Amino acid sequence: METVNEALLPSVARGDTTAFEALYDRHSGTLYALLLRILANPEDAQEVLQETFVKAWTNAKMFDPARGSEAAWLISIARSRGIDKLRSRKIRGDRENDAGREISIHSSFVDSTTGADRAIQSQESSAVRSALSELPEAQRVALELAYFEGLSQSEIAEKLGEPLGTIKTRMQLGMKKLRERLRDFK
Amino acid sequence: MTHEEFEAIAALDAIGAATLDEERMLNEHLASCESCRRTRDEFAEAATLLARQLEPVAPPADIRTRIVDTIEEDDEEENVIRAEGRFRNRWWLATAATLFLALWGWREFGVRVTREHMKSQEAQIAELQSELNSLRQHDDKLASEMAALAAADTKTIALTGQQASPSAAARVYLEPARRRAVVFFQNLPVNAKDKSYQLWIIRADQPKPQSAGVFDVTNNGNATIVIENLPVETEMKALAVTLEPKGGVEQPTNSNFFLMGNS
Repeated sequence: METVNEALLPSVARGDTTAFEALYDRHSGTLYALLLRILANPEDAQEVLQETFVKAWTNAKMFDPARGSEAAWLISIARSRGIDKLRSRKIRGDRENDAGREISIHSSFVDSTTGADRAIQSQESSAVRSALSELPEAQRVALELAYFEGLSQSEIAEKLGEPLGTIKTRMQLGMKKLRERLRDFK
Repeated sequence: MTHEEFEAIAALDAIGAATLDEERMLNEHLASCESCRRTRDEFAEAATLLARQLEPVAPPADIRTRIVDTIEEDDEEENVIRAEGRFRNRWWLATAATLFLALWGWREFGVRVTREHMKSQEAQIAELQSELNSLRQHDDKLASEMAALAAADTKTIALTGQQASPSAAARVYLEPARRRAVVFFQNLPVNAKDKSYQLWIIRADQPKPQSAGVFDVTNNGNATIVIENLPVETEMKALAVTLEPKGGVEQPTNSNFFLMGNS
């Protein structure tokens, strides 16, 4: 995402609120989509989205560009908090069913991001989807169950009715291919 | 485990699929393996492609406003806390500095007082030592005088006042065997500060007088001196006293005798 944009987190770390707003405009669409995918609930997703950006504001100094991109840093925070929220909901037993997810994801809101940001985010997601489409379906499913649902190896094996070793191998192979494709987006 | 095996765990860890044991082993290994740390970071970045494939969805506009308001409030609170912290820090620093200076000043004062006290005590000791030496000398002198007076062979020579001081007198107690004498002077005029009295021995075997000692008198005109290494009695012809420059001279500078007597 910031491959075409200057990294904003260093300015955010210095307390620049304008940079923070730009950071929000640049990444909120992807993060919100991720949280909707994980939580399948707009209210929960918005709550976690807010937590994610507040954490980005307070922890911006910890961002190390040598270890990864700004987008990856924000996605990791959002995903981690989203999965935590999902697990806490699972404990409460009130997780929404899959049918409800689709409705939530496509609910309409006023889009506050700029047209340029939207266009860039959309182009990039399209390119990534294209790259990931090369992954074998079985590998992609295993990765997504782990990534979006926070399932363990054994939970995935049980859900898919496959041996644990097979699932482990699929995920490792899938990640190796993702790592190879990463070069296209750096 | 090999690096390849750790890389396989890192791939699973990037999507949160590593077991707790695998995660623990990986973290232990990463602590000392730069190469595997790089691989782990690359897998972590690659995993985000799963999120980046999603079509972005714009959150409600009020979320942006709420978030920006929250961080601005946090910022204000942080500024207040920082300001309070600075104030507290300054207050504590000022208090600590004041205490330090007070303690340091008190310590320096104490050290100075102790030094002054020690100096004063050292001076007192030196003064007492000097007095002690003086008393010892005086004691020796008295003992010598007593010995001279009490000796069986002590001879006495009387000196009488001359024209310059008719009422003056002196008595010499001579111990020939020890070639030593004690002389008591009385009623001599008080000598000026730049002058001293000088006792001369006029010898039979030498044409010039020989100095036997220099002395100052008290306010009463009295003085006592002890003379050592006297010439033998047969060589002493007479004794006389003149007033000379302070500290004495080699030979008399005048013939104005204050006391005189024959041995």
